[in-house]
Amino acid sequence: MLALLNPEQQMFEETANRLARDLAVVNTADLKTVDRANAYRQLAENGLLALRMRIEGKPLASGVEVSLAAQALGGALVPAPFSASGVLAVELLALAGADEALIQELSEGTKRCGLLLKRDLSALADVADAESVVWDAEGAELAIGLDRSKGEGQLALVKLDSGFEAVEAADLTRAMMKRTGAVSAEPVGSPLSDADMRKWLALALVTVSADLVGVLNGAYAGVLAYTKERVQYGVKIGSFQAVQHLCAEMLVDIEGGRDIVSYAAWAVDELDPDAALLAAREAKAFLSGIARPVSETVMQVYGGIGQTWEHIAHIYARRAQTDALVFGGADVQRDAIADALLGGH
Amino acid sequence: MDYRDTPEEAAFRQSLRGWLANNTIEGWKDIPEDDISRYKAMRKQWQRMLYDAGYLALTWPVEYGGRGQSPTYEAILNEEVGRASAPPLPGMINYLGRAIFTYGTHEQKLRFLPTLLNGDVQWCQGFSEPSAGSDLASLRTRAVLDGDHYVVNGQKMWTSGAIYADWCLLLVRTNTEVPKHKGISCLLMPMDSPGVTARPIYLHSGSPETAEVFLDDVRVPAENRIGAEGDGWRLAMTTVSFERGAADVGFIANLGHQLEALKREINERGLADDVAIRRRLAQAYVDTRVLTANVARQLSMRVSGRDPGPEGSVGKLLWSRAAQGMAQLGLDVAGADALTGRESDWLSDYFTTRPTSVYGGSSQIQKNILARMLDMPRE
Repeated sequence: MLALLNPEQQMFEETANRLARDLAVVNTADLKTVDRANAYRQLAENGLLALRMRIEGKPLASGVEVSLAAQALGGALVPAPFSASGVLAVELLALAGADEALIQELSEGTKRCGLLLKRDLSALADVADAESVVWDAEGAELAIGLDRSKGEGQLALVKLDSGFEAVEAADLTRAMMKRTGAVSAEPVGSPLSDADMRKWLALALVTVSADLVGVLNGAYAGVLAYTKERVQYGVKIGSFQAVQHLCAEMLVDIEGGRDIVSYAAWAVDELDPDAALLAAREAKAFLSGIARPVSETVMQVYGGIGQTWEHIAHIYARRAQTDALVFGGADVQRDAIADALLGGH
Repeated sequence: MDYRDTPEEAAFRQSLRGWLANNTIEGWKDIPEDDISRYKAMRKQWQRMLYDAGYLALTWPVEYGGRGQSPTYEAILNEEVGRASAPPLPGMINYLGRAIFTYGTHEQKLRFLPTLLNGDVQWCQGFSEPSAGSDLASLRTRAVLDGDHYVVNGQKMWTSGAIYADWCLLLVRTNTEVPKHKGISCLLMPMDSPGVTARPIYLHSGSPETAEVFLDDVRVPAENRIGAEGDGWRLAMTTVSFERGAADVGFIANLGHQLEALKREINERGLADDVAIRRRLAQAYVDTRVLTANVARQLSMRVSGRDPGPEGSVGKLLWSRAAQGMAQLGLDVAGADALTGRESDWLSDYFTTRPTSVYGGSSQIQKNILARMLDMPRE
């Protein structure tokens, strides 16, 4: 056993972190001025949208690299639909054996595809679902969902130019749309087997959990630096034990989260679908569970400034709480884990 | 990155499993811990069996009787012994051994290491005192040189295994004129020296695993000092950092047993449809898995030649959280039966896990260590 990144993975991580720093949202004002189209182009040029493209049936990169990229981009609040279009839509289309041309366009960033999710964000939605939403829809002309009327596991694409409208979502770094009217759906690829569906869900849970590790770590790193600068009562607030312990508790949660995500990310391509999915649920249950407490502690330690619109703290909290629910919150995962431990109920 | 055993590790695990299947001490769990002579004999016998089979000191250098293997093998040993429900591994030999072969003289190594390993001599460590718990460096047990002996006076507290031990690795104050961390030395003391009195401390779980030790004019030969005078704090810190870490993996195996017991109990008590209980069970499992993943990384770092540092504090906090959460759930699942004498295991587990956030550096001390590691400002 060696539960550490290999040298190539370390290099990949450094590259992803460097890119993420270049594209980072550092304060609320950046959200208006950041060149989102350029950000996505940069991801494409650096190959981050092609990680799950297949060469001779094998993905170009494993769940580990997806996780590293998601952590980097989440940590810098990069406002680009890496997760939905760059990873999870590509993965769905590849598993379904869909038209290579579309996969190519998605991985080159010339076309974007959001994910059609149920209203509660807990799972992929059916194209017949009138309450569905499109998650991570920035710049997307398409969304991918299920069309069960054509068979279990059948995927379908919907065009977003009619029947959907943008919503004011909590997460200010990623766009969301809701279904408002009739849509035309086009089946794509062959139906996914149960096992492929579980494989995909494992990758999906890992991607969002990894984004959460990044988001929470980015928020925490910022406030930790602040405790070393901010002076009250003539001393830096980081010298107060009460503040130190809050930071230490966040560190423990984030380190534990990073470790379980690392295991689940490795499991995506190395374990059978059931084991990979269980590992991914473990990661998502833990990360969804700490998302709100850590975001709140960050806002608390910043004090007054952390309660303002201009400050970055709430941007992290918004993305974290959205991630927490995408593909199911902590209780959704716990229920599924309990089914695995005790049998269904 | 690979979380699976390498072929060599898998082969080691398999042969160890085979050995454990044929080698255990029947009925060891029925020996009460306060039946000192029987319990001690059982521990010695078990250690001797492990020693004869070559399963002790896996990570020690070969020259000191070890096998020079990576810490992963130590972790596999912990895991498999836990899984087999065999008696616990002799816990202290790794860090006592490390202290002796790192700081001891050639003569001390020859004299103490072989019997430490084969179990002929049982050891304890005398660190904490009534007024030196978390603030260990303020310890007051005094050792004054008198010719070629130290004369030791004071009291030790929380000396685990003292009632079974033949020898003690003792921290004493040899100099009161220097800053507190610099005046501490380390002595190796026979427990049958005149003036040594060990009295068991019964924990709220009912177990006498720890003790207080009174030291009245105890004469310890100066040649039994390990390391230089004033080196005791450094020695204690190096050895204690090895106390955590791989050993956690043994605790993980124990958490695995508890999880299985909880599943049985939940089913037997007809609680398998209780959503709240199901979710708590899942969370207890998740916390165990997070700990396992953390331990895997810590271990891998050590295998790659990085010493265990303050990162161990993260693992300690994850571990006490997982252990306490599991026992709390057990107590709740057993409900009133755990309090009315119908069922005693979960009550005992509950009290057994309470000190996990106190011993080995309390949770609050671990957070202080982490704050220092994060380079947070000092007051």
